This record gives sequence, C-alpha cells and structure tokens, in this order.
Amino acid sequence: MLWLYLHFPHLLLDHIRRTREEAGALVIVEGSGQKVIQACPEARDQGVQAGMRLKTALSLVPELGTVRADQQQEARILEDQARWLYRYAAHIVLVPPDGLMAEIGSLQRLYGGLPAVWQTVEQALNERQLTAWPGLGHTPLAARLIARTGKGECTDDKGHIQRTLDQMPLLAAEFDARTCTRLQRLGLNTLGEVFALPAAELARRLSPETLARVQKIQGTRPDPQAPWQPPHHFRQQADFVQEIEQSQGLLFPLQRILSELEEDLCWRQQETDSLLLILRHRHEEPTRIRIRTSGPEHRADAFLNLVRLRFEQQPLRAPVVSLQLSVKRFLGREADTGQDLLGESQDLNEAWHTLMSRLQARLGDQALQQLSPQADHRPERAWSSSGVQRKNRPASTSADQLPRRPLWLLQGPQPLTEAPITWFAGPERISGGWWDGQRVHRDYYIAQLSSGQLAWVFRDIREGWFVHGWFG
Amino acid sequence: MTEAAYAELFCFSNFTFLTGASHPHELAEQAAELGYAALAITDACSVAGIPRAWAALKDSPVKLITGSWFELEDAPPGASVPRFILLARTRRGYGQLCQLITTGRRRAEKGQYQLYFRDVETHALDDCLCLWLPPTLTEADADQALACGEWLQRLFGPRLWIAAARTLESGEEQQLARARWLADQLRCPITATGEVHMHSRERQPLQDVLTALRNHTNLEQAGHCLFQNGERYLRPMPVLQRLFPETWLRETRRIADQCTFQPGSLRYEYPPDLVPETETPAAYLKRLTREGERRRYPDGTPLTVQALIRKELDLISAMKYEHYFLTIHDIVAFARSRGILCQGRGSAANSAVCYCLGITEVNPARVELLFERFISKDRNEPPDIDVDFEHERREEVIQYIYRRYSRERAALAATVIRYRPRSAIRDVGKALGFDPAQVEQLLEGIDWRDKATGWRQQVLDKRLTRNPKVADQFFTLVNTLLGFPRHLSQHVGGFVISSGPLAELVPVENAAMADRTVIQWDKDDLESLGLMKVDVLALGMLSAIRKALELISDQKGHPFQMQDIPQEDRATYDMLQKGDSIGVFQVESRAQINMLPRLKPATYYDLVIEVAIVRPGPIQGDMVHPYLRRKHGLEPVDYPNDAIRKVLERTLGVPIFQEQVIKLAMVAAGFSAGEADQLRRAMAAWKSHGDLTPFREKLITGMLERGHDADFAERLYQQICGFGGYGFPESHSASFALLVYVSAWIKCHYPAAFYCALLNSQPMGFYSPSQLVQDARRHGVTALPTDVNHSQWDHTLEGPERKLRLGLRLIQGLSAKGADRLCQQRPLEGYRSTSELRQRAGLNQRDMELLAGANAMPDFTANRHQAYWQLLGHEQPAELFAAEAAETYNPGTCEQLPEPTEGQNVLADYASQGLTLQRHPLALLRDQGHLKFCLNAEQLQQTEPGRPVQVAGLVTGRQRPGSASGVTFVTLEDETGNVNVVVWLETARRQRKPLLTARLLHVKGILEREGDIVHVMAGKLSDLSHLIKTLPVSSRNFH
Repeated sequence: MLWLYLHFPHLLLDHIRRTREEAGALVIVEGSGQKVIQACPEARDQGVQAGMRLKTALSLVPELGTVRADQQQEARILEDQARWLYRYAAHIVLVPPDGLMAEIGSLQRLYGGLPAVWQTVEQALNERQLTAWPGLGHTPLAARLIARTGKGECTDDKGHIQRTLDQMPLLAAEFDARTCTRLQRLGLNTLGEVFALPAAELARRLSPETLARVQKIQGTRPDPQAPWQPPHHFRQQADFVQEIEQSQGLLFPLQRILSELEEDLCWRQQETDSLLLILRHRHEEPTRIRIRTSGPEHRADAFLNLVRLRFEQQPLRAPVVSLQLSVKRFLGREADTGQDLLGESQDLNEAWHTLMSRLQARLGDQALQQLSPQADHRPERAWSSSGVQRKNRPASTSADQLPRRPLWLLQGPQPLTEAPITWFAGPERISGGWWDGQRVHRDYYIAQLSSGQLAWVFRDIREGWFVHGWFG
Repeated sequence: MTEAAYAELFCFSNFTFLTGASHPHELAEQAAELGYAALAITDACSVAGIPRAWAALKDSPVKLITGSWFELEDAPPGASVPRFILLARTRRGYGQLCQLITTGRRRAEKGQYQLYFRDVETHALDDCLCLWLPPTLTEADADQALACGEWLQRLFGPRLWIAAARTLESGEEQQLARARWLADQLRCPITATGEVHMHSRERQPLQDVLTALRNHTNLEQAGHCLFQNGERYLRPMPVLQRLFPETWLRETRRIADQCTFQPGSLRYEYPPDLVPETETPAAYLKRLTREGERRRYPDGTPLTVQALIRKELDLISAMKYEHYFLTIHDIVAFARSRGILCQGRGSAANSAVCYCLGITEVNPARVELLFERFISKDRNEPPDIDVDFEHERREEVIQYIYRRYSRERAALAATVIRYRPRSAIRDVGKALGFDPAQVEQLLEGIDWRDKATGWRQQVLDKRLTRNPKVADQFFTLVNTLLGFPRHLSQHVGGFVISSGPLAELVPVENAAMADRTVIQWDKDDLESLGLMKVDVLALGMLSAIRKALELISDQKGHPFQMQDIPQEDRATYDMLQKGDSIGVFQVESRAQINMLPRLKPATYYDLVIEVAIVRPGPIQGDMVHPYLRRKHGLEPVDYPNDAIRKVLERTLGVPIFQEQVIKLAMVAAGFSAGEADQLRRAMAAWKSHGDLTPFREKLITGMLERGHDADFAERLYQQICGFGGYGFPESHSASFALLVYVSAWIKCHYPAAFYCALLNSQPMGFYSPSQLVQDARRHGVTALPTDVNHSQWDHTLEGPERKLRLGLRLIQGLSAKGADRLCQQRPLEGYRSTSELRQRAGLNQRDMELLAGANAMPDFTANRHQAYWQLLGHEQPAELFAAEAAETYNPGTCEQLPEPTEGQNVLADYASQGLTLQRHPLALLRDQGHLKFCLNAEQLQQTEPGRPVQVAGLVTGRQRPGSASGVTFVTLEDETGNVNVVVWLETARRQRKPLLTARLLHVKGILEREGDIVHVMAGKLSDLSHLIKTLPVSSRNFH
C-alpha cells in the first residue's frame, strides 16, 4: 500500500483568494475575532503567524484583510476537494479540517508510474489554485506526518521515507501534548530517538497508546481507514471578502464553479436541467435564483449564458457576500418524466415543492411572495415579503402583543386631502429608525373621512397630513 | 395652575446601567432649566446616582427626592408581579429604603438584585411613599392587577399612588383606562409621571443603543425591544399641561411636598468604640499623642515639634476629627501588634501627631509639610490619610476591620467603572451592527497617545463606513457614551466605617470578590457628601523590607528594625548616584535609573524630589532640566517675589510637586482658595472626563497681570495638565522617599538579605526573578540551585557566607502543599532516591515530574533526563510493601537517552524556573560564533560615544512612555548586564516586525553617552529569535 496525503495549510484562505481579483495580505480569524488561525503567504512575509493575536497582527500589517473562520464552510470546501480527488482514486479518506488521503499503490500502473501520478495531482492542484503539501508513506500516519512537515518527496523508497521520519522533530510528530512534553523532558528531539526506545518500556513508562501510535507510523500495527463516499448532489460556494455590487462581478467566480460542475457531471455521466443559485447579502434575506435549461445539459458555457441572461433581466437587490450553486437533480441520458402534480405523491412536502416550482416556472420567481411579520415599530417595515420558502420561520412576536394596525396598509402614504369628520384614537407617536437612514417621526390617528371610510392617518414632523391605511 | 407645579417622580439615570441615557447631573440641570418643583432620581434598586444629582441641585430651587425603582422576583398569590417606586420621605425613610436595597443586592450576584414580596412585607417601609406601576394589558388581566394593587394598599395605605405615564405608544389609551379603573376600585389617587429615561429627546438614539446592548443584539435586530418613540424625557411644562389632567399634575407636587429628606443632611457618625468611656475623644487623642511623644523623643521633644503638635491638636479638635485619627491609629496599632509593616501617606499623615501615633515614620523635624492644607478650616472636608500595608498581609488588616466593626458597619467604597474610548467604540459599533473584527482592527489602528490628530480624526481616516451619516451618528453616540458608568467595582482599599448600621447610610452590595461588600458610592460621592473613608492599601515593598529586616536580625542574632537603620548613610547615596538601583523602591525603573546619576541625591529631601520628578507633571511642564541646572549651580536660583519664594524655595524656584502648583495658582495667578480647590478637583478628574481649559485662561492672564512671563505661565499650565490623573503630592513623596532610603540601605549593606527578601515577595516591582538573581550575582551574592535536599519553599540564606539558596517556590506549577511535605519529611541525611522522595513526602506524579524538570535531585540522579525516566511508569506499590519496595526498587538507567547539553539545560531551567544559574544563553550563542561583531553590556561602558556599534540580547522590556513622544525604549539582556536601546518613531515604523516580535534582538546603531548612562540609538533591527533553537532544542516555553 502506498498512501498519498494532501495537507492544505490554508484551505479557507485559498478558497477566498481564488474568488477575488486583487491581492493583499489576508488572514482567517477565529469566531470571536481575537486570534489569527490562518495567514496567507503575503501576511506571513510581514510577520503574521497562525496563533498570533489579531491585535499583534494588525500592528504588524495595518491594512490586513480579515475573514471570520467558519467550520462548516471549511468542511464543505474540503469535501469539494475530495470529490475531485475521487476521480483519480477509489479509496479516499477525509481528514478534517485540512487533510485528504488517497491510496495510490494501485494507480501507479494506470498512470505509468509514481512520477506521473504525482505530476497529475500537482497540476490539478495548480489549476484549482490551491496550496497543498503532498506526502507519501507506506502507512496513513507516515504519509500524513511527512505531508504536514512540507517535506514530501516523490519517492516510495522505504529507506528514504524511514530516514525522513527518523529526522522528524518531535513537535511535528503529533503526539498529544502530555506525551510530547514527557518525551521532550527525556531529552528526545526527533521521532527517530523515540523509535529507538525499547517498545515494552515505551508502553510502560509513557502509555500503551504512545506505543500504538509509534507502531502505526512504522506499519507494525494495522491502521484501517474508512473510505469516503461521494455525496449525491453538487454544491459549490464562493465567498467574497469585499461585497460585490454588480452582477457582472459574479460571473468570474461563477465561471469557475460552472466548469467544476461540468467536470462533476461528466464524471457522474449525468446531466441536469435545474440549477439553484443562492446569493447571500449582509443584511437582507438571500436571493434565490433558479435556472432552468430547456432540456438536460452539462456544458458550463450553456449554463453561463443562461445565468448571464438572467442577470441582465434582474439586477442585484443588494451587494452580495457569497454565492452558492447547487444541483440536486441529476438526469441520465433518458430523463425521467416529472411526477404528476395531482398524482399519488409520496410526500406532501415534495408535492408542495413541485407546485411551487411549476408556478414559479410559469409566472416567474418574482410573482410568488410570502408575507411574514417583522419586529419593527415603523409600519412600513413591520412586515416583509420574501421569496417562498419551504418552512415558515416561527413568528417572533405573538399576535396579541402586536399594536393595532389596519389590514390594508397603503404602498406608500398618500396625502390627506380633506379634514376628517370624526377622530377616534390617537395620537400614537412613532419615532425610530434613525440607524438605517429611514427615520420616521409621526403621530398616528384613526379617523373617519366624509366617505365614511375609517382611515389611519398621520402627521409627520414637517406638519404634513397623510393617509397610511384603511381599516375594514 | 401656578408655575413649577410639577415634580418628576420616576426618572432613571445612567446608574440604571444600559437603560438610563443621561447623567444624574444632566437630569438635574434640565429639571432646573424647565422649572420643575422637584426631581426624584429612581434608579433600579440603587441610589448610586443620588450624590451627583445632589451636587448639581445643592444650590438650586429644585428639590431632589431620593427614591428607587423595583421589580420583584415573584408575585403575591393571585396578583401580577409588583413593579413600583419607593420615595424616601424623611431621613428615617431613606434608611429604610437603603435597607431594602441592601437586602436585594446582598442576595444576588454582583450587579444584580433579587427581592421577593415577602421582603416588602417584612421590611419596615413606613416612612417611604410608594408609586405603583400597574401591569400592562398583555402582562396581566384585571383581576391580577387589582390583587396586586390591593396587596400594596395593605402595606402602604394612604402612602400609595398609582403612577400613570403618557408615552404616546400604541395601547396607551387602554393602559390609562386601566389606571383609572384601578384608582376607582382602590380609592387611590393617580399621579402623573414621565417614566423618564433621558433628560432630552435628543438622547433617543443613545437610549436605543443601550437597549440593544442590554438585550445583547443590534439595532437592526432589536425590533420591539426598543421603545416606540423618544417620549421618555423631561418634558417642558406646557407639554405636560397638555397631556395630563391637572389633578394628576397637582398630585406630583403633593407627593414632593411630603418628601423632606435631603442627602446633604446625611452626617457621618464616627464609631464611638475606640474611646474609653471615661475620656473625651480629644483628651484620649491627646493622651495617646503624649505617650507617642515620649517614645519618639526619649530625650525630650524639640520645642518646634511641641508647638506643632499643639497647633495640630487644636485644629483637629476644632474640626472634630479626633475619631478619624483614632480610627487610623487603631488600625495601625493592630498591624504593629501583628508585626505587619505599614506606613501612612498624605499630608495629614505626615503631621507631627501622626508621627507620634506611629502612623508614619516621617519625622516632622525633617520635612516641612503643610498639614493645614489638607485639613482646612474653610472647607468642610474630611482629612485623607492613606495607609500602605505589606501586600501579602493586607488581608489580615481588612479582616480585622470587618471583625472590629462588623460587616454591618464597614464596607469598601465603590469605584465607578466608566466607558472609555475603547469600550464605547466597541459597544456602539456592536449596536450599529459593525463587524466586530473590523471594529477591533479600527481600535488597533488608533494611536491613543497621538493627541494632535485625536482618535476621532483617525477613525474618519480609517473609513469604518462609507456612509458619512452613519459616521456622524457613530461619533455622536460614542462621544455621549464616554464617561457613562458601566458597573460598580470595589475601590482598591477605601473603607467606610460607621457607628450605626452602614446600610442605613448607604446601600451595600456584593463585589465580584467573595466576602467583599461595597457601598453604592465612590470616593467622589463620599467627598461631596462629606463622609469619611480610610484607605487601606497594599504595598509589596513593605513585605520585602520586613523580610529583609528579619534576615538581618537572624544574621546579627538580635532584632533589627527599621528605626535601627542609620540616617543619611554616605555609601547608600553613593550607590544610588551611580544608578545602581535595581530592586530599590520607586527608583528602579529605567527612567529613574537614568535620572539618579543626573540628580545625584545626597540627602533625604533629594530622594523626596527624585520620587516626584520622573512623572508626567514635571516632565510635561519642562521643569526637570531647570531644576537639574539649578541644583548643580549652572543657573542662578531666583524668585520673582517673596510669596513665590516661600512656595518654591525647597525646590530651588522650580515647581515639582502638585501642592506647589496649586499654591502657585494662588500666589502667582490670583486664584482664590475656592478656585484653587476647584482646580485640584479638576486635575484629579481630568483623566476620565474633566476639563482643564477653563482654568488656562484664568491662570495665564492672572500670571501675566502679575508680571510673570508668558512662557513660564504656559509651562505651568502644561504641568497642571501633566498632573491630571497622576497627581503626585509632596506629602506622598515624603513617605515613599523614606522607603526608598530604607530599601537602598539594605541593598547597599546586606545585598544577600535584600535580594532574598525581594525574591520571596514576588510578584512585585519591575524585574523578574531572573533579572534579580543576575543582579544579585553581579553584587557578589552566590546563588545555589534548587535542591530537594537543601531548598525550603522560600529562598533562604545559607551559612556564614550568606549564600542565596533558591527556594522550591521558583519551580513553576509545583504545589505548595507538596513542597511543604517535602521539607517537613526530609531525613537528616537527605533523600537518597526518587522512590524514597515519593514515599516519604507523599508527592504526586505531577510534583515529581516538576522536580525532575527543575533538576532538583542532583544527589541521586545523573541528570534531568534520567531523573525523568525513573519517574515515568511508576506504579503505586501496595501499602504493605511500600517500605520494602523503596529499598529494592531499582529504577535503572536508560542507555538510549541522550545526555543533556549545556544549551538544553539552560532552556530547561528557563522553562521550569524562569531563570538559570548556568551560563547565560547569550554567552552560549557567542561561543558558537553567532554574535561576532556584537559588544556586550560591559564592553559598551568602555566604548567611545558616537561610535557605530552592534548589540544583541534577550528582549526584557519594550516601553513607550506617554511622556516621550513616539520613542520606544527596548531593554536587552546579555550575560554581563542590560543594554538600553532607543528606537525613534520613524525607525520603529519601518521595522515593526522585529521590534514587536523578536525575543532575541540584534541592533545596529550609534552609541550615545551622558555621564555614566549609555544608550544605543537604533538603526537596523534584526530578529535573531531563531538562534535560540540552535541551542539546540525546541524553543517551547522560552520566555
């Protein structure tokens, strides 16, 4: 067996950097924003290191770009790489958060020798603009340790690999902290010196686990690895450090994702007719765009054209912070005919979804909306309409705590053209919203107009009178 | 309806944290401006805002009413949860209010309160008025509301009102209807209230921000947590008249008229316990002073001192301060009886009476101090004496105070923690929904010391937001939030002691520390209400001095005390003049070490000046160089007139101390005594929020009018600004100088005792144990390593040569209990094996490993690696065979383990104990040929100034003092001593990385010399930290 281990020293960073055009020092910071966990080469050149406090890093590089770490995102990106590697090797192992492993002993023949395999992988990594440190070993652990020290070489010579392991500093050998401290206190500096200790003594004086680990590295104890299975859908995401304001700017990252989709489809030997594009914004609800092709398709160009058309029709609602493309529906050469709408659907949810898809396909996404209450004192912001979602979020306010509001709220306030006949209630003063530039300062009254209609009227700070809604 | 017919009875100040959006004084001033008859400050279970509102309303027609708002944790059966305001009717009612608050606060964690309906039933509240805030329609139904009202009516009867507010929010009409219905049912009057959260409507944005923060969210998400509008402000009279029925308004006035309590009537009652029943306080104090006199002056008191004592006693009697002096005397006497060293500070402390009472060791015959200034007949203010105690034993003194006066009568003063620029920017940013990482980045980029650009401009330059409107709002909010109280913390040591239950004078609440209670007022509040506090502070140097004196007594074979130290010893001053002062109290910092050879102190009074001169005040006032020139006769000493001569004669015509600066404002700029006092207060408050500019004009014109030149006036003003927040008066300097002399004398004559005592008092002072041990060795002290067969827990002195044996306390992580057993169980002939050590001392594996790591078993292990090997895999033998096993256990050695190299040993020593007695790492690196062209610290002393040099060393200090614009001082340590490197701002900017991150730094630069002081002006900096790894082992735990 021969294992190839790929260590991605800054996966999240690479992922972000390849979707933006301008360079600049960039780091990933942990959730609370205090500590740097990954630094790009440029940041490292200026002295920033992983583990450093953000405070220190910023005093070194004041114009440092920062991105918050997101474990889910990281896991997703790693999985993307696994899917790609799966094309070359059948036995893949995922080592979160930053490693991938493949058994390549059987591949050598296929590719015509180890150097060819090595080169293929390196080239693919290059195309994907990812930094990975490869390592080869006869055991999974050996491959991993060698990869993580960045000393991997294209050789399967046992002696050579053994020497590399022997010279490996103790700190790089990934013993648990307690064991590592103990070994250091014994004056040991390299893995080779640990190998030299008598096995029985090692188990007795350190721990049986330590011995087991040493043996797994050396291959004298089995170390089975569960193979990874590819998922049944395609999903890719691009995250932006700086918000993208024009849809044109989305095409560049989208192009890369679509060509990965094309590769994915080819490898699956399948096609699709439906893509879901989700654009996330900083403050607003995400925009969901469904793209449908007229028939089964797999070419990136075709998809890109459709997306471009769609963007031309529909400008961005708000700047975009991330973009996600997912495909769940795969079609073989002979596509299934869809399920009948009123047929014996197994799943009501599924039926609802199908209905929505069809209505949307007929009427366009914009035509279907869903209402929900919004916690805001300003009447025009006290509700929101958004694209239809499968699940309704639970209402944040119970109905009896809501203030008295007319059922029919006008699109915008209309000037009041006559003096009301009767005043019923008021004033109710609403003042707020100074923080988003939509400041409101009004006194509301319920009043009857000469037509007999019950109106919700207000006077604003400039003493103008308006009708804002009608009571039934 | 007449003018001023309204009293606001429901008002949160910003002492209801994250709720009220105005300072108490803003509310007070606004109420006065609007012509209110009265204003009640009713913070949530607190009266913390009262003193500040009182200070603002003292001389105003607006009456201040003391009250508090409460929400209970539970409800009476069938009723809604009661929410109400209590107002103090009389002094007695105020006491009742404080008691209830204390009950609620003492029960909960710091900053919280918990009150139950049973508490309200069981506390006497018959002198308080109650305003009930009925529940809203969504909170409770009519039955529950009525039940709650009935419950309150049973307790308060005619002293109950229903409070009604007009917030103009949705549902208000129903709420008012309910209030009317309840009033009808209960036959209870309704009173108008404003439910005030801010003094002006303009504070609505800030109030929204605070609400969002309180709910841990941002404005966007806050939704219905925010108020619907900004109506909870102090409304003008016409608006009130439009909104409320006249009867409701009149009711406010009726309530206000019933409340006669004024905070100014609070009088401090001194604890009477200290005076014997047969004597008056004055006679008792006189007797104690007389006894002290005989002790201090066995050969008869000098006439001048006698006169001084008479004068002081008269003044103390006139002001009735006997109890204050007696209280401090009692605390100090307790400390003396337990052998705890202590020393008083402050001008009252340095009086002749205090010298006789043993509160200070500063002999009045040696320093002329202005005792009258601190206790002034004109100002009705209590005297202030700070007493320092040994830092490790101050807790004993605190516990004594609690014991002597009980917890009911003694508590610590509070310190109000306020918003500073950093916290304000952080919180406002959070509320506005800025990315926290971006805000951190912004904060990091701000140079707080850059007074010229100011942080506001810098924030603008950083472009946190592209929207200029948001930026404007951001600044306004941050600026308003600055100085807002955030929470109450405990004062470092200010005790308030009363004769009756303290909780009737001021509420007491829990501090973060277990077993500590604080009152709700801070020291400024106490001062403005004329209440007394006693400062019990901790000082590390006193611990060290006591320990050193014990070691010296031990060596001499008879007790040796502070007063046995000879005065004005030549050798001690010679040592200080060379700048040889590491470890000496107050003068061990780098700046002081540089000052000593320039000032050349030769007398006690020189030390008083030395302590005070290296401080922001004199430095910013540019008074240091004139003083030095005059002292060395390079410039004539002259005085514009006799009045000034009197103020400045002691310091050769140059103002050095805070007292002098204030006195100068009076004699040179014509300030009245009152104005001078205001100036003093403004200086004290300047750091947080005070403003000194109003005094500038007055000071400068006053001085010009009196014929002084403009330059001197401007410098004096600068000095005043420099004193702001760091005021250092002569009276404190005098007490400190005494400890400077004592510690310097011990260092000079008993160096081994000195370093041993300092090391045993760690952590304290400027230097690490490693630096202290190196300095000790340079002073001829022999240091011996830690050894399980010789060391105690503390460092000790061995044999007639007084060798310093390092103690087990140096081993990081070693348990004190384990070490204690190790010492107690140690056989006469010492331990002979690891197993014997483990058995006899009952040490656990962790302690054993730490001892091995420290190489502390040289008698029976070959080296630390083998020692460690022996410890691993040890299995506890059965009890029965324990002794036998100890005999027969043959741990054996392991041939595969390498012998530790010198470098490994050095690094392991650092990792285990933070220091090494082997060669310095720099010596090793030099041996390996790494530092070819570098001079060491000793060689630098012999080098010509102006020469380009190279140096390298471990970075032991990086400092950017506020008084030196933009300069960073780096201290490098090598095997021969310390090298001082000066890095100019421009150099630092270009080489941030090595400057900020190097542990081992190489510097190319120019040597500069001033007298004995040598600096390297840095040019090129390089980081050599990687060399540490070549020592050769990983650099883990190295520094």
